[in-house]
Amino acid sequence: MNLFAIRERARAAWAAFALPGHPRILVGAATCGRAAGAMEVKEALAAALGEHGLTDSVPVFEVGCNGLCYAEPLVEVTGRDNRRVLYRNVDARIAARLVESHLVQGEPFMKRALCVVEGNPLEGLPKWAELPMIRPQERIVTRNLGFIDPGEMLHYVNRGGYTGLERALALGPKGTVEEVTRSGLRGRGGAGFPTGLKWGFARKTPTEPKYVICNADEGDPGAFMDRSVLEGDPHAMLEGLLIAGYAVGATVGYIYIRSEYPLAVARLAQAIEDLRAYGLVGENILGSGFAFEIKIKKGAGAFVCGEETALMASIEGHRGMPRAKPPFPAVSGLFAKPTNINNVETLAAVSAILERGADWYTGFGTEKSRGTKTFSLAGQIRRTGLIEVPMGIPLRTIIEDIGGGVDRDKACKAVQTGGPSGGCIPGHLLDLPVDYEHLAEAGSIMGSGGMVVMDEDTCMVKVARYFLSFTEAESCGKCVPCRMGTQHLLRLLDTILAGEAAPGTLEQLRGICETMKCASLCGLGQTAPNPVLTTLRYFEDEYSHYLAGEVRRYRIEAESCEGCRACAIACPTGAITGDRKRPHIIDQEACILCGVCLQSCRYNAVSFVFEEKAAR
Amino acid sequence: MKEITLTIDGQPVRVDGGASVLEAAKALGIEVPSICSHPDLPAYGACRMCVVEIEGVRGFPTACTTPAADGMVVRTESETLRRLRENTLELMMSGHPNACLVCDYRAVCEKHKPTPSKAGTSTRCGLCGNRSECDLREIVLATPGRNLGLPTIYSHKKVERDDPFIERDHNLCILCGLCWRICDKIHGQPAISIVRRGKEARIAASFDRSWVDSGCTFCGACVDICPTGTISDRFAKWHGHPDNKILSTCMLCPEGCSFYEMTENNQVVATRMTGFAAEDRLCALGRFAYPQLLQDRDRINRPLLRESGELIPVSQEEAVDALGAALDGFRDGSFLFLGNDTELRETKHLYRSLATDVLKGKYHFMAAGSGAADLPETIAEKIENGTIRAVLSAGDLLPAELRERLAFLGVIDAFPSALSASADVVLPASILAETTGTFRDAAGTVKGVGPALPAPAHARPEWHWVRDLAQRLGADDWRRYRYAPDVTRTIGDDPAPAPLRTRPRDSVKDALPARFRGHLLADRVPALRAFGLPFTPPEATATEKRGFLIRRKEEIAPNFHSFLVEAPEIARYARPGQFIMVMAAETSERVPFTLTDWDPENGTILFIIEETGRSSRELCALRAGERIAHVSGPLGAPLDLTGANTVALAGGCYGIGAIYPFAKALHKAGKRVFVVLEASSHFLIYFEDELREFCEAIYFTTRDGSMGRRGAVHDVLVELLQSDDKRPDAMAAIGCTLMMQMATEATRPWSDVPLHVALNPIMIDGTGMCGACRVSVGGETSFACVDGPFFDGHEVDWAELASRRGAFVQVEVEAMPQNGTLAAHACRH
Repeated sequence: MNLFAIRERARAAWAAFALPGHPRILVGAATCGRAAGAMEVKEALAAALGEHGLTDSVPVFEVGCNGLCYAEPLVEVTGRDNRRVLYRNVDARIAARLVESHLVQGEPFMKRALCVVEGNPLEGLPKWAELPMIRPQERIVTRNLGFIDPGEMLHYVNRGGYTGLERALALGPKGTVEEVTRSGLRGRGGAGFPTGLKWGFARKTPTEPKYVICNADEGDPGAFMDRSVLEGDPHAMLEGLLIAGYAVGATVGYIYIRSEYPLAVARLAQAIEDLRAYGLVGENILGSGFAFEIKIKKGAGAFVCGEETALMASIEGHRGMPRAKPPFPAVSGLFAKPTNINNVETLAAVSAILERGADWYTGFGTEKSRGTKTFSLAGQIRRTGLIEVPMGIPLRTIIEDIGGGVDRDKACKAVQTGGPSGGCIPGHLLDLPVDYEHLAEAGSIMGSGGMVVMDEDTCMVKVARYFLSFTEAESCGKCVPCRMGTQHLLRLLDTILAGEAAPGTLEQLRGICETMKCASLCGLGQTAPNPVLTTLRYFEDEYSHYLAGEVRRYRIEAESCEGCRACAIACPTGAITGDRKRPHIIDQEACILCGVCLQSCRYNAVSFVFEEKAAR
Repeated sequence: MKEITLTIDGQPVRVDGGASVLEAAKALGIEVPSICSHPDLPAYGACRMCVVEIEGVRGFPTACTTPAADGMVVRTESETLRRLRENTLELMMSGHPNACLVCDYRAVCEKHKPTPSKAGTSTRCGLCGNRSECDLREIVLATPGRNLGLPTIYSHKKVERDDPFIERDHNLCILCGLCWRICDKIHGQPAISIVRRGKEARIAASFDRSWVDSGCTFCGACVDICPTGTISDRFAKWHGHPDNKILSTCMLCPEGCSFYEMTENNQVVATRMTGFAAEDRLCALGRFAYPQLLQDRDRINRPLLRESGELIPVSQEEAVDALGAALDGFRDGSFLFLGNDTELRETKHLYRSLATDVLKGKYHFMAAGSGAADLPETIAEKIENGTIRAVLSAGDLLPAELRERLAFLGVIDAFPSALSASADVVLPASILAETTGTFRDAAGTVKGVGPALPAPAHARPEWHWVRDLAQRLGADDWRRYRYAPDVTRTIGDDPAPAPLRTRPRDSVKDALPARFRGHLLADRVPALRAFGLPFTPPEATATEKRGFLIRRKEEIAPNFHSFLVEAPEIARYARPGQFIMVMAAETSERVPFTLTDWDPENGTILFIIEETGRSSRELCALRAGERIAHVSGPLGAPLDLTGANTVALAGGCYGIGAIYPFAKALHKAGKRVFVVLEASSHFLIYFEDELREFCEAIYFTTRDGSMGRRGAVHDVLVELLQSDDKRPDAMAAIGCTLMMQMATEATRPWSDVPLHVALNPIMIDGTGMCGACRVSVGGETSFACVDGPFFDGHEVDWAELASRRGAFVQVEVEAMPQNGTLAAHACRH
C-alpha cells in the first residue's frame, strides 16, 4: 500500500476516534497509570457507562502516559460539546461520578478536573498548554503521548507519522544522514555522540549486511522515558528505526528491550505487525526498493546490557559482557557486521526531524546541544512525571516551575542526573543550564534522563551508597577495576556510614575511583565512581561528620511533637513509641533509618541529625 | 597483511597489520604486564594490567585489545600508568587470598613448612596447590613494595569437588576468562562460561550442572591455562611444579595422541596437551587417568613362579628360565599368545615372531578396550577342544573357565588379576611411559614413545621379556635386539590398530575404552566411574552404627570446622590443655586435636579442625548426625595456669580454639587474661566473641594488617611483657610450629616468664606407646603425648621438631584421596 492510501485510511480512523459531537473517554493506561490503578478505573468507567446505558455510545480508549505521573490515574472525558477535560487521581468511585456528572448531566466534575485539553474554556480551569508543568516544555519525542491510541498505527499516521520516512526515501541515504547531521541531534542514551556522524560511519563501512539496533534496555534506577514512549507511541521510534536502517544501508533492525517492559513489548509487536500489513517493513518499502525487517530481542534484565557491545553480545546469544573498542560497532558490531545503535529517544527524535526538517529542530536548544531532552522527574518533588524540555533550560525551571518545587517546601539539596553513572548537582547550582556541556562541567552527566530531586534531609553518603550497591550488583564482573572497585567502594561507604571509617578513607575512596575511571573496560565501570566523586566534591562536609565518628539518626524534637501518632503508625519496625498527644521517641536500636517518620510528620518535628556515635 | 610502523617508548617497530599494541611491544622486547592475554587466544581486556598511553587517544587503552596502527605513538611507562597498574593489581589481589604474599615471615615460613597443607579451600598462598605455578604470585612478588593495602574480600564460594579429576575453588578466581575462552577455542562450543554478575560472577557450566553433564570432555585445557589455583588437577596439584616434561604418545587407545608427560622425580604426575589447538586435545583418560595408572600402588613388581601350588617371587632369570622350559613343550602348534592391539610396535612385533616363528603357534591381539569376555569364539573353541594348551597372556585377557582347560598359563602384566593369580608364571611388565619405542596410531602414523621412565622394581618392557624368552627357546639371533631401535628396524609394514567407534577425546559418554590390558580402568582410577565406565562392585560390608555422634558441625571460618560431639566420658574428665585422638572411620588414621570445650552435663565435647590433608578432610566431610568411628581421650597432661595472676594466651589458626579452655578456667579463677589472636587475614579469625567473654582485652594480629595489627602474636606478647600494668607472669601459645617458635624467640629475653607451647609432632597412638612423638626439651627426650603436649617453649629444640614433622611429606601427598566418593560426600553438606 502506498502512503497516500494509508493516509486516506488514517483520516477515516481518526475521524472515527475524534468524531465531533460524540463523547469518548481516554484512560492513561501506560505502566505508570496501571500501577496507580488505571485498569480498575477503566473497569469502573465501563460499569458506570453500562449503568447509564452509554456503553455503545461512549467508547473508552487506552492511551499512553501524557507525563503528569503525579496525577495518575488520569482520565480524559469528552462530552457532546467536544470539550476535552482531563481529570486527575481518578479512582473507581470518582470514575462513576465522572460518568454521571460529565456525561449524564453534562457538568464537568470540577473537584478532580485538572485542565481543559481542547475546546471551550471552563471557568477556573487552565488550558492544557497553560499548565505550569506543561508550559515550559517542548514536546517533540513525546508529541503523541496521551493523545493517540498507541495500538492504532493509523492514529500515528494521521498526526504526520511516516512523513519523515517518506522524506528520507526522497532524500536518499546520503541526504538523510546529512539532514540528521545538520539537525545537531546527539545520542540521547547518555554519551551524546552526534547521531549523524555515527550514521555516517556505519554507512561508509562497505561490509554487508548491516544492522541497526534500537537500544531500549532502559536500566537506570528512576528512568522511564523510553518505556513511556514505547508504550504510548511506539511508531515514533519505529519510524526512526526505519529511517536509520535506510540511511546506513541496513537490512535488519533489532529492538533490544528489557523483558521487564511487557506492555512496551506487546505494543511493539503489534506495531511491527501493522507495519508489515501496510507494507512498511518487508521488501520494497513504499516502492523505494528499500527492504527492511524488524526483530524484537528481549533482554533478561542485566543493566550492563545497555552498554552497546554487551547488548550485541546478548543478541548474539552470548553472555552480555562488554568488549573493548575499537573495533567500533559501525565497523564491526552485531555478528561482526557494521552496526548502528541508537536509543529509543534518539530514534523518536529522528522521525520528527525528518518530518519537519533539520532547520526546525535546530530552533530548539543551544548551539552545541540542539533540540529537546526528556527527563523522568522523580524524588522529593511536588509534580513527578515524564517531561521534555529544550536543551539549555535552567535546572531551576525544571525543579520549580515544571516540578512545582521540592515537596513540603523543603530546600533542594541536590539533583541527581544520569542514574548510577551520573552525579549529584548541588542545590546552589540550580541555575545551571541543562545541556551536555554544563552538566559535565558540574561533574554529572546528561545520561539517559533520570532526574531525582533530593531535599535537605537527604544523606548524600547514603545516596552514593545506594548507587554503588546498584553498580556493585550490576557489574558484569569481567574487568578487575569495576568488579573489585565497586565492592571496595561499597564496603568503604558502609564503614563510613557506620561511623567506623579509618583516617585516610577518603583518600582511599578517591584512589579507587581514579583506578575505576581510568582503567575500567566499559562505561559502567568508568562512570560507577561518579556518585561518590560528586558527593565528595559538593558534600565532603557530610563525609567529614561520619569520619569524625558521628552517625546520622532520626530524632523527634519534643517541643514540636504533637503526639499525633502518624510517625508511630508509619514506622515499619515499631521503633517509635509515645502516648497520644505526648512527645514520641525513637528507639535507635530498632530504627533502620528508612526515614518514613520524617516523611509522615506534619509538624516538622522529626529531624535527621549528626550526633556522636556513642549517644544512642 | 601489510606491515605497519609504530613507535613504542621512543623505539620504532615494524609489525604485521592486525597485530595488537601488546604484540608490537613484545616484538621490541618491552614487557607490558598482562594476565588475561594469551598467545593462543584473541584479546579479552579483563585484567586491565596492560594499560598504555597512546597519543591522540583518550584515556588509557589496553595494549592487548588495541590494534597497532601506522604511525601510532605509544608509551608503556609513566607515573600514571605505574599507579594504575599497581592499583589494579591491588584490586585484583583483594579478590584472591593473598596474605602470604605480603607476610613479613613469608620466606622463613616457606622454608619452615615442609608439609604442604592440602586444604580443600585455599585460603592463603601457602595453602594453595598452585603455589609453584601461580602467575599472580610471580607478578606480585616482582612488584616493588607489594602494596596490597586493600583487605581481601573473601567470596565464600563453595569449593566444587564433585566432578572427577578437576577441583574448583572459585575463591581464588580472578575471572581472567582464560579457561572458558580456551574451552571455546578448542571445542567450538564451550562447556563453561561466566555465570551471574558482579561479585557473584564465577565460572560454571550452564545451570550449574556438573561438568560431566555439561559436555565437558575433560581435556584439561582449562586446568592447564588457569593462572591461579582455581581450576586444578586433583591428582597433580600437591606435587608442585613438575621438574621435566617428555614429548611422548599415549597408548591407552588407538588414537595415539601426542602429549607431554609432566614428571617430578621421574614420576608422571600429569600429562599436558602439546598446544592449545583443537587437534591437540586429549581425552579424560590421556589427560587424567594416565598418571594415576602409572602411580597405581597395586602393581605387579616381581616375577612370580608357581611352586608347590603357590606363586613365589623369583629373579628375572629364574622366571625366564622357567617360562622357557615350560613353553618348550608346546612347539606343536598348541601355543597361543594373547596381547593388546594398542601396544608398542616393537612389543607387538616380537610377540608375533615369538608365537609364529619360535613357537610355531598362534597369536591374537585384543582390540583396545576389550577384555576376557571379548575373546573370539574361534579361539575359545580351540582352547575348549584342547587344540590350544598353552597361553601367554599380556593382561587379564582370558576367561576363568578357559584357564582350567589349559596345561600351561603364563601372564605378563602390570596389575594383578584373578587370571594372574592362577598363572604358572607371572612376569611384571613396564607400561606406557615406562617403555620406549614406536606406536602406530589408527590413522597409520608412526609416533615415538618415551624415553622411558623407571618402572617399579623388577618390571621390564614386554619386548625385553620376549627377547630373553626367545633366546632361552633357542633363537640366538634375537641377541641383536639390544635397544628398541634394533627391533624397530626389523618391523616391516605392520598393520594399524583398529580404531574405536567414537574418539575418546570427543566425549566422555560412551566413548572411553573401558579396559586397559583387560583390566577395568575404573577399578584402577575410581574417578572414571563418574563417566559411567564399568567397575567391579566392592564387596558389601555391614555398615556399623557405632561411634560418636556429631551433634553439630559448622564451618566457622573458611577451612575451619567446629565439631560438637557426644563423648560423655571425655567431657567428664577433660582438663584444660588436654587433647583427643580421632579416627573418622575404622580404617582412618589417628589424628590428635586439642579440646576447645566440654560440657559434662550434656556429655559433649567441642573441638576445631582445620582441613589440611587427607585425614582432616575425611573428618570434615562428615556431617551433623553422622558418627566419628573413634574419639579417645582426654589424653596428655593437663596444664594448670591458675597459679599465675596475669596470663597472656596466644592462639593462631587452629590454635585459636585451643586457648579457649584456659581463658575460661583463668577467668573463673579470677585471674587477668589477655588474649592475642593471629591469622593470615581478617576472614580467618573466629571465636573472638566467645573469647572476649573471658578476657580483659583481646588483640588481633593479621599478616596482611586487615584486622588489628599487622604482624604476629609475638609482637603483642613483647609489648605486654614490656608494659607496666599488663605484664603477664605466664604465657601460652598454641598454633603452627613457626608461630610458636617465633613467639619463643621473641620472648627469650623474658625467659623468667614461662611460655607454654603445645607441641605438635607426628603422633600415632597418643598414649606413650609408639614413641613417634618424641621431642627434645631442655636437652632431654620427652614424649609429646604423655609428657606434654605443653612444654616451656624456651627449652624446646625447634629445629628437630620441624625436621621430624616433615618426614612423610611425599606419602602425605600421595595419600590425598582421588576417589570421587569421598569428595562427593564432602560436597553435600
